Amino acid sequence: MIEDFREYKKNWLVGKVESSELLEVVKKVKEEYRTLITISPTDFLERIELNYFFTDLESKKSLWLKTDISRENSKIESISHIFGGANWHEREAFSTFGVDFIGHPNLKHIIISSDFYGKAPFRKDFDIEAHQKEVEKHSLDIASNFEDEFSENSDTETTLNWGPTHPASGPLRLKVGVDGEEIKKVSADIGFVWRALENLIERKDFVGAITAVERICFMDNTNSMLCYAMAVEEIAGVKPTPFAEVFRVILGEVGRVSSHFMGIGGFFGTMGLHTLQMWAMDSREYFLDFLEDYSGARIATASIEAGGVRFPLNLETLNTLEKAIEYYESKRDEFHSIFLKNPMMKKRASQIGIISADEVHEFSMAGVVARASGVETDIRKDEPYSAYEKFDFKVVTKNGGSAKNRFEVIFEEIDESVKILKQAVSDIRSGVSEGTYNLEKDHLVKVPKKLPKGEAVSRVEWARGELMMHLVTEEKGKTPYRLKIKAPSFNHTMMVEKLLEGCTISDIPIVFGSMYICQGDLDR
Amino acid sequence: MSGEQLFQILVFPGMLFILVWAVFVFWFFRKLIALFHKRVGPHYNGYMGSMQTLYDFAKILTKESITPKGINPYLFSTIPILAPLLAITPVAFIPWSGVGSEIVHTEYGVLALIVFVGVEPFLLFLTGFGSNNKYSILGGIRILTQTVSMETPFFLSALAPALLFGTMNVSEIVSETTLLTSIVLFPSFILFFISVLGVLEQPPFNIPDAEQEIVYGFYTEYSGTNYLLLKIAEFSEFLVVFAMAGVLFFGGTECFFFDSFFCLLLKMLILAVLMIGIRATTPRLRVSQMLNFSWSYLLPLTLLNLAFILFAKIYIFGGVQ
Repeated sequence: MIEDFREYKKNWLVGKVESSELLEVVKKVKEEYRTLITISPTDFLERIELNYFFTDLESKKSLWLKTDISRENSKIESISHIFGGANWHEREAFSTFGVDFIGHPNLKHIIISSDFYGKAPFRKDFDIEAHQKEVEKHSLDIASNFEDEFSENSDTETTLNWGPTHPASGPLRLKVGVDGEEIKKVSADIGFVWRALENLIERKDFVGAITAVERICFMDNTNSMLCYAMAVEEIAGVKPTPFAEVFRVILGEVGRVSSHFMGIGGFFGTMGLHTLQMWAMDSREYFLDFLEDYSGARIATASIEAGGVRFPLNLETLNTLEKAIEYYESKRDEFHSIFLKNPMMKKRASQIGIISADEVHEFSMAGVVARASGVETDIRKDEPYSAYEKFDFKVVTKNGGSAKNRFEVIFEEIDESVKILKQAVSDIRSGVSEGTYNLEKDHLVKVPKKLPKGEAVSRVEWARGELMMHLVTEEKGKTPYRLKIKAPSFNHTMMVEKLLEGCTISDIPIVFGSMYICQGDLDR
Repeated sequence: MSGEQLFQILVFPGMLFILVWAVFVFWFFRKLIALFHKRVGPHYNGYMGSMQTLYDFAKILTKESITPKGINPYLFSTIPILAPLLAITPVAFIPWSGVGSEIVHTEYGVLALIVFVGVEPFLLFLTGFGSNNKYSILGGIRILTQTVSMETPFFLSALAPALLFGTMNVSEIVSETTLLTSIVLFPSFILFFISVLGVLEQPPFNIPDAEQEIVYGFYTEYSGTNYLLLKIAEFSEFLVVFAMAGVLFFGGTECFFFDSFFCLLLKMLILAVLMIGIRATTPRLRVSQMLNFSWSYLLPLTLLNLAFILFAKIYIFGGVQ
C-alpha cells in the first residue's frame, strides 16, 4: 500500500500512501513503530501534504509517511485512537492548517485562540485583513464565549484557573476542576506565548531564520539552532568542518547544562524552596560567561548557522569554559548532599506523576521524561549528529518514572554533559596543537543563499527532549517554504492532564515542574 | 493612667518596640535568607540595606487598599485591624526586663500566651472566607485544617514547663529556671518549635499561603495598608512566640553572666536564625502529609514528653513539694 518506499537516511524509511488507506497503513505501522513523533502539514497551494513521522524508541528505527489531501475539502481519518500522542498534534494541524480529522475525540482549537474565526493562519493564502474583518463580524460570539469560559462552577466541582497569571504556572492555563483539595479533571489551555515562529520563519531568509529558531526557548537555544542548521545543510549538501562539528557539540552541551540548571532549580522552586534555584543560577552564570565570551551574547547567541559556527574561536575562550566546569564541580557535592538526598523532597515527589514505560511510547514522551521511566532514548546515541560519536558518555536512565526520578535524571545529565565538554575541549586543544583544526578559517563553510528544492528532517537531543524539524524548500528558494518544529513540551503538557487526575492541588506545581516544560517550545 | 503605663503601651514593650522589631526582623530575615541563597539581599538603602524595609513599608502604605466587589467590606477590613491587636496583646504577659516586669501580673500567664497565640489563625481563616476568592477560600480551609491539627501539640508542649515548675506564673518560671531544667525541657522546646512553625504557617508548613499552589492563600485579595497590617501581625506573632520560647524554656532574661533584656533578644534571634535555616533548606509539605505528621508523630511525642516531664519532676527534682 505504500508507494515509492525507500530509505531516506540511516534507520529512516520514507513512503507515500493514499489518504483513504492511511488508517489501515497506520494500524500496521503501529506493530513496528510504537511512537508518533509529529504530524506536519505543508500547504502546496494545490494540495495539502500531511507528513506523519513515526519512530520506535527501542529499535531506534523511524518512518516517514506522506499523504496528500485536497485543499478545499481537507479531511482525513484521525489516528489518535491508535497513537495516543497524536491527539494534540492533530489538533495543532487542525488549528494551523484547517485539516479536519474525522473521528478525533476532541477536535478543538489549540495554541490559537479557542474562538478563532476565519481561515487557518498557516495556510499560504492567509490574509490578515480578511481575518480582521471576520473577527469583527464575530465579536459578539467571542464575548459570549469568553463569559462561558470563565464561569463554570458546578455544585460539586469548582474550576480553578491555574494560570496564566499564577505565580508558578508560566504563560499557560490549566483549567483544574477541584472538589476541595482533590482534582477531578484537568485541561490545559495553551498558546499564551504563541509567536507563530513556524510562519515567521517563512518570511526570513535562511540565515535570518536562526534568530527565530533560537527563540523557541531561551533556556537551551543552541541546540535548536543546531537542529535547523542540520536541516539546511542536508538540503544544500554542505558538510561542516570537523572543528565546527566539535565546537557545535560544546555549544550544544553548554546550552543543555544551562537549561538543566534552571530545570533543577525550578523543580525545587515548585515546592517553595528557592535555595537550589539561586545556587544553580550562580553556577549557570559561569557557563553563560563562556557564551558571552564567544558570541557577545549570554542568552540569544545566534552562534550556530548552516555550514558551521558563526564566529572563529579564540583559544582563550575555552579557559572561561574550563573555569565554569571547575566552579560547578567544586559545588556539585553540596548540591548533591543537600538537595538530591533531601528527605522532604523524596517524601513529596517519589509517589506522584508516575509515567510507565508503555505510556512513554504511547504518548510520545521524550528526553528526560522518557529516560526517567527507564526508556533508553537519546538522539545523541540513536542517530549521532555533529561529533557526538567521538565522545564517551552514558545515557542516564532511572526506573520508576516519578517526579523525583525526573529530577535525578536532570541532575545526573549535567555530569554527563560536563564529561562531554571536557573531552571536547581537550579534543580542540589537541587538534590545534597537531594542526588539524584551523580556528580562524574552519569555523564556517559557505552555504549558498538559494537552496534547491528539497525536504529534510533533522533531530537533535534538546535539553528537554527530542527536537525535530521538517524543512521544505522550493527551487531556488531564498526562504524556507515550510518549517515544522516539533518540540517535546507539547506532548509533555498533554501528559500533565492525565497525570494530575486524582492528585491534590499541592501536586500541581510539582508534577508540572517535574515535566520540565518550557512555554516557549510549547507554543512556538 | 500613669505615665509609666502610657510608656509601656506606646514605647516599650508596646507599639514602637513592636514596629521596630517588625522592621528589624523583616530586614534580618531577608539578609539572612540571602546569605543562604548566595545572594546579597537588600543592599542600597542605609547601612547594609537596613532602611529597605522602612521604604517598603512606606511604599505599601501609599498603595491603594482594594476591597473586592461582592463581599462583606466590614469583615474584610476589620480583620486587618483585629489581627495585629490580638497579636501584640500577649506582649503584656512576657517579663521583658527581668523577673516581675510583665505588665499584667497574673498567675495564669502561660495560659494567656497560649490562648492569644492560638486564636490568631482563626482570624486569618476569616480573611480567607471574607475575600470571595477561590484561592483565599482554599487558603482559609487549609489554615483551619492546619490549626486544628497543630494547636494541640502546641499547647501541650507549651504547658510542659508549667507542669515541671508547678506554676503558670511566667515570672516564677523564669526565676526557677536553671541549666538542668533547660536541659530537661529541651525536648519540649523542640516539639514546641515544630508546632509553632505549624501554627504560624512557616516552612515547611507554609501550606495555607503556598505561593506555587494557591497563589497567596488568604492574603491574595489584600493590598496596601490592609496587607501591611496583616504582615505586622505576622511579625508580632514571631516576636511573641520567640519570646515565649525564650521565657518558658531558657530562662528569659537570665543568662550565665548578666541578666538583661538583651539576653532575651539574643535568644530570640537565635530562634529566628533557626527558623530561617529551616526555611532555606526544607521544601513544603503536602496537606495530607502535614496531617499525618501532626496526628501520628507530633501529638504522640508531645504526650510522651509530658510523661517524661512528670518522670523528671518526680525523680530528678524530688517530686511535688
